Amino acid sequence: MHNVLGERNVSATEVSLSCADSKFTQQELPACKPLLTPGIVIGAFSLIGIVFVPIGLASLSASQDIVELVDRYDAECVSANDKVGFIQDTKTDKACTRKITVPKPMKGPVHIYYQLENFYQNHRRYVKSRNDKQLRYKDSASMITNCEPEATGQDGAPIVPCGLIAWSLFNDTYSFSLNKKAVEVNKKNIAWDSDKNKKFGSDVYPHNFQNGGLIGGAKLNEKLPLSEQEDLIVWMRTAALPTFRKLYGRIEADIMANDEISVVIQNNYNTYSFGGTKALVLSTTSWIGGRNNFIGVAYVAIGGICLFLAMAFVVLYVLKPRTLGDPSYLSWNKENPDQPN
Amino acid sequence: MKRLVYINDDSRRYSYCDNRISNTKYTLWNFFPKNLWEQFRRFMNQYFLLIACLQLWSRITPVSPVTTWGPLIIIFIVSASKEAWDDYNRYLSDKKANERNVWVVKDGVRRQIKAQDIHVGDIVCLHENDEIPCDLVLIGTSDPQGICYIETSALDGETDLKTRIVPPISANMSVEQLEKVKGIVECPNPDNDIRRFDANMRLFLPSVDNEKCPLTINNTLLQSCYLRYTEWACGVAVYTGNETKSGMSRGTAEPKLTAADAMIDKLTIAIFMLQIVVVLVLGYFGNIWKHTKGLKQWYLMYPAEGPWYGFLVIPLRFELLCSIMIPISIKVTLDLAKGVYAKFIDWDEQMFDWETNTPAHSANTAISEDLGQVEYILSDKTGTLTENRMIFKRCCINNIMYGNDNGDALKDARLLNAVSSNDPDIVKFLMVMALCNTVVPVKSNDDTVSYKAQSQDEEALVNAASNLNMMLISKDSSTAEICFNESKFKYELLDVLEFTSDRKRMSVVVKEGQTGKILLLSKGADEAILPRVYPGQQKQRYLEAVEMYSQLGLRTLCLGWRDLEEDEYKEWSKNFQEASCSLENRESKIAEVCDSLERDLHILGVTAIEDRLQDGVPETIKLLRNAGINVWMLTGDKQNTAIQIGRLCNLITSEPNSQLLSISGKTEQDILRSLERALLITKNTCETKDLAFVLDGWALEILQKHSKESFTRLAMLSKTAICCRMTPLQKAQLVAILKSVGYLTLAIGDGGNDVRMIQEANIGVGISGREGLQAARAADYSIGKFKFLKRLILIHGRYSYNRTAFISQYSFYKSLLICFIQILFAFLSGFSGTSLFNSISLMAYNVFYTSLPVMTIIFDKDISETTVLQYPQILLHSQAGRLLNPTTFCGWFGRSLYHALVIFFITICAYADEKSEMQELSMVALSGCIWLQAFVVMMDSNSFTSPQIILIWGNFVAFYMINLILSAVPSLQLYTIMFRLCGQPSYWITMALTVAVAMGPVMAFRYFRNLYWPSPINILQQIEQSNGSIQPSRNVESALKPARTNLTNLLTGTRGSRGSSYQPLLSDSAESTR
Repeated sequence: MHNVLGERNVSATEVSLSCADSKFTQQELPACKPLLTPGIVIGAFSLIGIVFVPIGLASLSASQDIVELVDRYDAECVSANDKVGFIQDTKTDKACTRKITVPKPMKGPVHIYYQLENFYQNHRRYVKSRNDKQLRYKDSASMITNCEPEATGQDGAPIVPCGLIAWSLFNDTYSFSLNKKAVEVNKKNIAWDSDKNKKFGSDVYPHNFQNGGLIGGAKLNEKLPLSEQEDLIVWMRTAALPTFRKLYGRIEADIMANDEISVVIQNNYNTYSFGGTKALVLSTTSWIGGRNNFIGVAYVAIGGICLFLAMAFVVLYVLKPRTLGDPSYLSWNKENPDQPN
Repeated sequence: MKRLVYINDDSRRYSYCDNRISNTKYTLWNFFPKNLWEQFRRFMNQYFLLIACLQLWSRITPVSPVTTWGPLIIIFIVSASKEAWDDYNRYLSDKKANERNVWVVKDGVRRQIKAQDIHVGDIVCLHENDEIPCDLVLIGTSDPQGICYIETSALDGETDLKTRIVPPISANMSVEQLEKVKGIVECPNPDNDIRRFDANMRLFLPSVDNEKCPLTINNTLLQSCYLRYTEWACGVAVYTGNETKSGMSRGTAEPKLTAADAMIDKLTIAIFMLQIVVVLVLGYFGNIWKHTKGLKQWYLMYPAEGPWYGFLVIPLRFELLCSIMIPISIKVTLDLAKGVYAKFIDWDEQMFDWETNTPAHSANTAISEDLGQVEYILSDKTGTLTENRMIFKRCCINNIMYGNDNGDALKDARLLNAVSSNDPDIVKFLMVMALCNTVVPVKSNDDTVSYKAQSQDEEALVNAASNLNMMLISKDSSTAEICFNESKFKYELLDVLEFTSDRKRMSVVVKEGQTGKILLLSKGADEAILPRVYPGQQKQRYLEAVEMYSQLGLRTLCLGWRDLEEDEYKEWSKNFQEASCSLENRESKIAEVCDSLERDLHILGVTAIEDRLQDGVPETIKLLRNAGINVWMLTGDKQNTAIQIGRLCNLITSEPNSQLLSISGKTEQDILRSLERALLITKNTCETKDLAFVLDGWALEILQKHSKESFTRLAMLSKTAICCRMTPLQKAQLVAILKSVGYLTLAIGDGGNDVRMIQEANIGVGISGREGLQAARAADYSIGKFKFLKRLILIHGRYSYNRTAFISQYSFYKSLLICFIQILFAFLSGFSGTSLFNSISLMAYNVFYTSLPVMTIIFDKDISETTVLQYPQILLHSQAGRLLNPTTFCGWFGRSLYHALVIFFITICAYADEKSEMQELSMVALSGCIWLQAFVVMMDSNSFTSPQIILIWGNFVAFYMINLILSAVPSLQLYTIMFRLCGQPSYWITMALTVAVAMGPVMAFRYFRNLYWPSPINILQQIEQSNGSIQPSRNVESALKPARTNLTNLLTGTRGSRGSSYQPLLSDSAESTR
């Protein structure tokens, strides 16, 4: 018995020791308990409405101010019936000229994108088929894990850069002229600086690339290090959606309304065998990025709905008031079973 | 079957097991496989092992295998070490018991051996205060009368001393003889009945006639009892090791799984099914896509001929991708939360018993939420509901009631005067009080006498008598000496007509030392004594007294006496000896003989003893019953006392509102008939009336054997029951009956006799009380007083249930959320099984980002403690499982699907075209998940304390911190991504849009529900809010009456729908009105 008492005394002192943080141990921390009262809810919805509608309108107007020209050329640039055969023939001249009239003035820099549709850069087979170490370090040329089936050339030597992504590099080229005058396309700084500096080595040179029997896409200049192959770097930032745009270059000059842009396209890239489309996109930018009405429309819509709901709640509350916290609503306090809820 | 024990005969000793006790679950060799096997019996563990193995196949794994193997191995190691530690401690305590030294006699030589080496047939010698190592038949003690005292509290929980007698055949043997004695004990095979031992002994001694001597439980020393007030005793080992009575009654404690856990397992299986379906469908689509479109996508370079298992690759990939649907962290999170609930119970100062300095303690940390779902409470009576402290309070002597004025007869001046004036009636009354018992006076060194009694009532009577100057000074098996007003009287004790539950009375036959007159002194229950008075005695007044005392909840005993003629006694004595020696039906034969003597009694009076109810018991029981919990009382005590206590503590209400259905009878037919009758009445009575059935141990035995089904049905219908004269095993059986029909039971008790029931019940609560700590040790929770039960259930249990309901469902929500996004992404990635999120994000999502905010819910209180205690009916809500059931889970499921759609579509619309970079898009979607989960936790928390706010928003900030840091590491895919995103206004605008679209409808829906279809919890929250602090309004009080009816409806409603379909939260009000 003595032992037992001894134990108890110890625990008693423990308890008294813990009195310091007793608010915590006794679960008595001060708490605020907001309830969804009509005031709070109607207020919240009104607030959302009031904040969202202006933001939506601002985004919408910013998006509307952006001038975006999209020119799909995959069908028009191939006259032959056998499109796949045409595109796979390395000997034919695939130049194709497109003329675009500018409806509104575009302030430079004007971004040039190519847009692919139905191209699954996010496919598991594709998205994994690269080796970041090999791209970064000179000594890692032989690191070709994950690169199958474009890991080694026919001679067994590793391909740099290896993998399906690099192999299928987009190889259409565009040359622009504005009102019959050639315009220079700035292809510098189209890739992320971080990629150029840290992801792609400045001392890693393409090797054994596109030497196999099956040529995928563009070839690379073996004299240039990977960090300067900006088209490759852009291409290797894989897109998450099957429809995507990638930056091709910029036109630094302003373009006036009704100017005519003519583009000579080297239509090399095969989207025909899988029914993909290709388009050329010219676009200005603003603070919300490219032209995208979604955010603006969604904000205005949500703001509107919230305002409507707030009003509806007010009306409902006036028409069918309820006392909050009436004990007679408690299920065990209900005397009349038929009382409507 | 019989067991033959050859006393002190080495040649035959090895036919039975030795005395090694083993309570361990594992051995050193089987620990690893057995533990692994046990752990793998859990579905979740099997599942994750499968996933982990699949992940080793690099062709199909979307993420690194470490993401599953790491957590899995950690979980295994943690559980295994806990098991190992527990088992090691059991081993140590067994070892200590096994290696204790005991004295045995072998070939006439005393030797000290280890307890584990005792064999059946050995003669074991014990000294005062020794623990008895195995079951022994007593053959000798230091006492010349052959008596010894043992304390059996470890066995049956009764702290009073028991007398054990050396069987006559070996009485008067010298120590030398004892050490050389040989013989045979014929006894039944081992069983767990600690009240029964029907055996014979024959000794091979020249000096003793070679006759069979009957043995009863009174001739045994049972394992784990203690020898007290006896210098030494020795006995023959008859049962050893795990075959002893105590060993056989030791149930193994099965690990308990809470109802909430079971529900979570069910939901897990449902999610698993869903996952299989999703995997099959996506896998099918994937193969179709591959063959119709994939082969044409030249840049994918699909080989023309794949391996034979090619068609399996995509489904398996989806299986791995979807494995996050079942949250691996749920067990860890829940264990952590449960640990905190348990700590809250330990810490609770309002459950701290200041009288004994006992804090509440939860030994089992895993089952707190079951407390919130308790449906049946099975309570011990003595020591649990009562204080187990008997005090003589009133008496009625010669038609005068003493103690009516001040409630204490010992202070009643009239009685004191009568005592000092030697009123003959009073003297006789006190004499019966002092003599008619089995109390043992123990003289301490300073000549004060203290009393050791088998029954606390007798102790109270003897103490009261001594306070009234009638002192019992000494007593042995044949004489007793009393002292009244300074003069001493000697009595010869001729016979003791023992108390049994059937006779409900006991008597002694004494011979007055001076006059030589033979007297029969009797005491017993009123119904056992009053019919036996001599014709013409006035009983009316005594009946009134008994009635009045019963109403006050006092335990009454009637005292009576009569003169015996010498001849009459002699004849009777012969019959009595004969009956005592009979081997068959001994008990009934003795009863018959006793009956013939106990007649024509002169009633002396009625005593009233108070066993005070513990503080706050009636209020607690009322509250618990209001909370929809059915309370049963299981006691080893007499029926009358039990009923009285039941009345006192609100268990049964007075007549017009309630009816007691007694299930009893002399024969089996009677009992079965009374059961049918009770069942019929119960079915046909309107529910406002409280029906309680009363049952005793014997009836239960019959019912168990013949009519288990009808009894179970009655048990399901009865809100109240009083079960008396229950053995520990029967208590456990009752629990098992209720458990078998799916009720959640809580057993509460304080003594060793409650241990089985405590272990059997879903929740065992022990009261660390006067009957020792066995119950508290075996229990899942131990509390100092019964009244703390209301806090344990209504506060801790309810909060724990609410919190577990949230945590578990939220765990599924967050896993489903991210999984649905992955599934949606499959539609845009050619069903190829690409993971939108990278491995780091996926692992961190489960481990860091989403596990911390959910832990804040352990501080959450939906309604305050005062409100809960004021409206205990709210417990029905959690009892019926309204917060964690398939319906609520569907709500969470729908919400996660909706949120996944919102996040996914807003992300791909806002980040289309030139922005659709994989890493950026995945981080936008992940941020969306993090934002939403913070708001979901906010929305579902009912109260905000500082830790909650800190954790929710701290986690939010931590997400950005972690990802900004990760974005600074060049080798990661995440490099610079977060910097870029945080710099874009459109990122923040997208997040705000996601939150508004995802949470707006949820808030609107909540608002509507709170306002127009409020759940009881909502209403109470509103009441709290509007009153600031709640005051009991008139409205509530007046509403209490219909409340009871509706409560019943609600109860039966939930019962009816139990298991089949769960009513959604919204409709419970409608349901209650059925």
